[in-house]
Amino acid sequence: MTAIHFTLNGEDRSVDVPPEMRLIDLLRENLDVTASKKACGIGRCGACMVLRNGTPANACLLMMWQVEGTDIITPEGLDAVPESTFVRQGLIEENAFQCGYCAPGFTITLTALLRETDDPGEAEIREALGGNLCRCTGYHSIIRGAVRAVTLKAANALPGD
Amino acid sequence: MQVLHPSTSEEALELAAGDEDTYFLGGGTLAQLDWAMGLRLTDRVIALDRIAALQGIDVGPDFIRIGALTTLAAIERNRAVADALPMLLSAIKVTAAPSVRNIGTIGGNVGGRRGCLIPVLLAMDAQLEIARPNARQRVSLVNWLGTLRDPDCLIEAIVMPRSPPPTRWTYRKTGLRAEFTPGVIGVAGSLFVADDCIEDCRIAVGGGVTAMRLFEVEALLKGESPEAVDWSHVHAELMEAIKAPTDPQRSTHYRRRVAANALIHGLAGRLPGNGRNCPRMPLSPPAGPVEEIRLGRGPSGKHWHIRPDGPAKVAGRLTYLTDVREEGMLVGRVLRAKVPHAYISHISTKRAEALPGVVAVVTHRDIKGSNSFGIVVQDQPAMCFDKVRYTGDPIAAVAAVNAEVAERALKLIRLRYKPLPVASDAKAALEPGAPCIHASGNLVREIHFERGNIEDAFARAAHVVEATYRTPRQMHTFMETEGGYAYVSEDGTLNVCAGGQHGRRDQMQLARILGIPDDRIRVVSSPTGGAFGGKDELTVQPALALLALKTGRPVRMQLDRAESVRAGTKSNPMTIRMRTACDADGCLVAQQVDLLADSGAYASLSPGVLETALEHACGPYDVANVEAHARLAYTNNGAGGAFRGFGCNQMSYALECQVERLAVACGLDSIKFRARNMRRPGTRGYLGQAVAPTERLSEMLDAAAADPIWSKPRGLSDDGTEFIGVGMGMNYQGNGLGTLPPDPGGGALRLARDGKIEAAYGLDEIGQGLLAAIRNTVAAELGCGHDDIRPLTGDTAASPESGSTTASRGTYVVWRVAREAAPILAERIKVAAASILGRDPASLIIVPGGVADRASNSGELELGFADLAAALPAGEHLVAETEFEFPKSDYYDGNARLIFAFGATLARVAVDRVSGHVRVLDISQHTAAGPVLDHAAYLGQIEGASVQGLGFTTIEDSLLESGSYFTWNLDSYMIPSIRDAPQSMAVFAHEGLATDDPFGPRGIGELGIGAVTPAIANAVADAIGYWPERAPFDPEQILAAMGRQS
Repeated sequence: MTAIHFTLNGEDRSVDVPPEMRLIDLLRENLDVTASKKACGIGRCGACMVLRNGTPANACLLMMWQVEGTDIITPEGLDAVPESTFVRQGLIEENAFQCGYCAPGFTITLTALLRETDDPGEAEIREALGGNLCRCTGYHSIIRGAVRAVTLKAANALPGD
Repeated sequence: MQVLHPSTSEEALELAAGDEDTYFLGGGTLAQLDWAMGLRLTDRVIALDRIAALQGIDVGPDFIRIGALTTLAAIERNRAVADALPMLLSAIKVTAAPSVRNIGTIGGNVGGRRGCLIPVLLAMDAQLEIARPNARQRVSLVNWLGTLRDPDCLIEAIVMPRSPPPTRWTYRKTGLRAEFTPGVIGVAGSLFVADDCIEDCRIAVGGGVTAMRLFEVEALLKGESPEAVDWSHVHAELMEAIKAPTDPQRSTHYRRRVAANALIHGLAGRLPGNGRNCPRMPLSPPAGPVEEIRLGRGPSGKHWHIRPDGPAKVAGRLTYLTDVREEGMLVGRVLRAKVPHAYISHISTKRAEALPGVVAVVTHRDIKGSNSFGIVVQDQPAMCFDKVRYTGDPIAAVAAVNAEVAERALKLIRLRYKPLPVASDAKAALEPGAPCIHASGNLVREIHFERGNIEDAFARAAHVVEATYRTPRQMHTFMETEGGYAYVSEDGTLNVCAGGQHGRRDQMQLARILGIPDDRIRVVSSPTGGAFGGKDELTVQPALALLALKTGRPVRMQLDRAESVRAGTKSNPMTIRMRTACDADGCLVAQQVDLLADSGAYASLSPGVLETALEHACGPYDVANVEAHARLAYTNNGAGGAFRGFGCNQMSYALECQVERLAVACGLDSIKFRARNMRRPGTRGYLGQAVAPTERLSEMLDAAAADPIWSKPRGLSDDGTEFIGVGMGMNYQGNGLGTLPPDPGGGALRLARDGKIEAAYGLDEIGQGLLAAIRNTVAAELGCGHDDIRPLTGDTAASPESGSTTASRGTYVVWRVAREAAPILAERIKVAAASILGRDPASLIIVPGGVADRASNSGELELGFADLAAALPAGEHLVAETEFEFPKSDYYDGNARLIFAFGATLARVAVDRVSGHVRVLDISQHTAAGPVLDHAAYLGQIEGASVQGLGFTTIEDSLLESGSYFTWNLDSYMIPSIRDAPQSMAVFAHEGLATDDPFGPRGIGELGIGAVTPAIANAVADAIGYWPERAPFDPEQILAAMGRQS
């Protein structure tokens, strides 16, 4: 067991866990933080996407020793990230998801994209979402939702902002 | 596991001390994949993250040095590297996915010796800075690759010389899908040309094959003029020089060929073949405009509603049944067979039971009822006792205080097997002497149908086409793997809460297994993170139920993906031999079908799939002479069962390719040929059964003819690397379970105490938009607002029997319940309100929020629903219920459908001349399924099915080797990524029904997958004159076909 200190959704956390334990298992098995999903466990689907120090990372590929000292934001913590408002709104308006199991992961990736890129087009959106799999939608509704989110963000950016 | 954190390379080497089993970890992404596959499990790893010397990028005048611990994302973002080393950047961009590049390092990619960057680094003549005990050295990557794995060696940095940029360079990774794919083979090459002479060159392969420089080939090029090089000779030499493995997904020959093609194209601009594709037939002008609407947020306008569960799903606030955690809840795990076919001679759970933290272990000995289940045939044990028939077969289950203890307990269960020979091929399984999987024999079902005189018809035919089509074992790949929880409530009721598609049938099957009455079991089966037919049969419910009963405590369980792959049902792979004939005018005269399907170890719904496939043997066409024969065989290849499309899409693949081939043979275009053969409205169905009055095939054909996809560019692409073609397929799919099985429907509407109108349906929200459909339809029939409706679904305690959420039947059930029950409830509400208000019920009308004055347009409420509910005397409920049998046809010699939905699917594809890959550019779906209950849900179903069908057609297959899955997780079983999705998709709906049609809206859950495969296959044929006869398409066969064309 190793003591690991990190920030989870803005709160300092200290856990005593095996160092190789994956972050997704800590979240889902130990902490009852279940918005991040585990759908492949080997970093191939993006359902467990979190922000690690602001950039998307697969929580199933992060061993707890790699989480030491980092800032982790799960979908539960996105309320504190302003861009997530547009992302969520765009995805909701376009009815982007069906079963929704992949949705939290997509929302994380898109929030990071909107934070890093001013006006991402469809090509940038597709590039950013290369690691997020969805089985229900065929992706186009998600792309439309992301494009809508970009529009909402632009509309909200008042002159002088 | 012990994780050590040295702060210098020396310390790291000292800690490793030459131990072969020690991992140096950078990002750890590759090691974790190894561990997940059970390779090189280790107790100790050395994390390199605190070694400062391994970090950073130095851009010097002569060299660029990249510290081994630099993440791929950091390299990607470094402007100087991007400018100086575009070749490296191009390779990084196709390595893993952005989020994984945020974790994975360049040192790990190189150190694992199989990374996708290695060929490019070889072509850049990269060097490695290596630390050894007491020494540091710089070695060339190519030399280092020639050495054995050495635990006394730590890569500190990758160093790229900043030589003048090559005159030409190329990098190309060929994978299994468009992106985030394992490498099949990667190639990189650079040419340095001066004075029309190749002064130097470097050519390398790697990523999916053993990484190597191809010095012999380089020697051929050096000193030559690029124009004078005999590139076809170089191609042959490359084929010779490349060492590549064969695995179940790609052959050695393919890897070599695609690598040679890519290098010759990249370095010399030459492509295989002559660049001429087959001549295409001009299309006849479309008929008049078709009355259809395009679906989408814009065009749908006021019909576009936000789905009720959308906001919670997007925010991650929806609690799935696999998300439920409670104090004291145990964690369950299942022990599954390790071998595909064996007698069980011994099961001992004693040591597992003795492990501290284990609360219960269950086996077949705990089953009080019948240890056999199955929707059609009860041939599947809930817990195996005498033998195992596939590697997912459950033998025991454990409930423990946490997942780790449960996992350890599984390893303590002692099993002894007597192995049996494995039946791994459906055809061989039906031959004499094949291993016998069930005592009843390996033939699960055989169906024969004929009419007319097939031999005469073939003898008289002008054109006959015969081909054998093969289809994949597609995995549903619902994102939420099977799981949920179970507990016994205070009144003794067993609650089983796990994603499913028919709660009441799960309840009935569980009652049989457990030997307790149905009414002691409550099943909650929604919400579910995707199903597609894969949660139709029981999954984890028996194990959960047994554990909850034995422990008396709540137990949860969720299969991990690898276990889901092993245990879960898949679509039935089919071999369809089809011989089809037409006369000189292009009228179909004969259809002969011989179908063999692989059921896997158990029947589940596979017999139904077989029936449905055969029922669609002539699709939407009228053929007088038919002979159709189908067999379904048990094998040890996993477990087969229901999958969206249910056999119809497989059959339409074969049929629509045959139709297109005959059209070409007759000199008729795609539309004209089909128009001559379409079944006529008012005639009986394929089996001679009565069918619903609405027929929309000719409208769909007109819509297909008018589709703008035909006028998009076709032929050779602008850059010459792809052939582009357009194809189509007609779509004709039955709704409901058919005449033979029971097919109950029903539902209830009631005014709840809080004033909501509860709409209770025993259907499941599996993502398809059931809740939106219920809300819209009930609100419209009742006259109330959307917000007044509270759907209650997927819970046997809350909702009545509605039948299964399968077979495109939910739409009809939702509509019919609303139509029958809403007027009754409306009347009861008005009567109750009238008595409170002291008015005549006829003067009232239901409006959003409650009851208003019929004569007033103010919209002002006379009485709100909540006030009405509160004013009702205790014990008085306003309810309206209905139950019915899903409409059935009149034919009982085989399973026949009454209600059909119609469509035409068009696809435009690009066939890659280097790799043989088929890229789907556009998909357009015209559908006719009656009124649309919810525009967004309808659009979502058709788009989603389009891409699921695209996956079936181009990349998806569950592969087994002697009964064990080769494709074990999502790194090897490929579903389409966002870059595999078409550039454009368009979905149209024709909403009209015949005036005498009483059946309302048709279901569209399966319609969208019905004709995707033949549309893509026919588009490939349009592009290169070759019809792929196997899905997923084999790029090797496509390359070979393009070779033959030229």
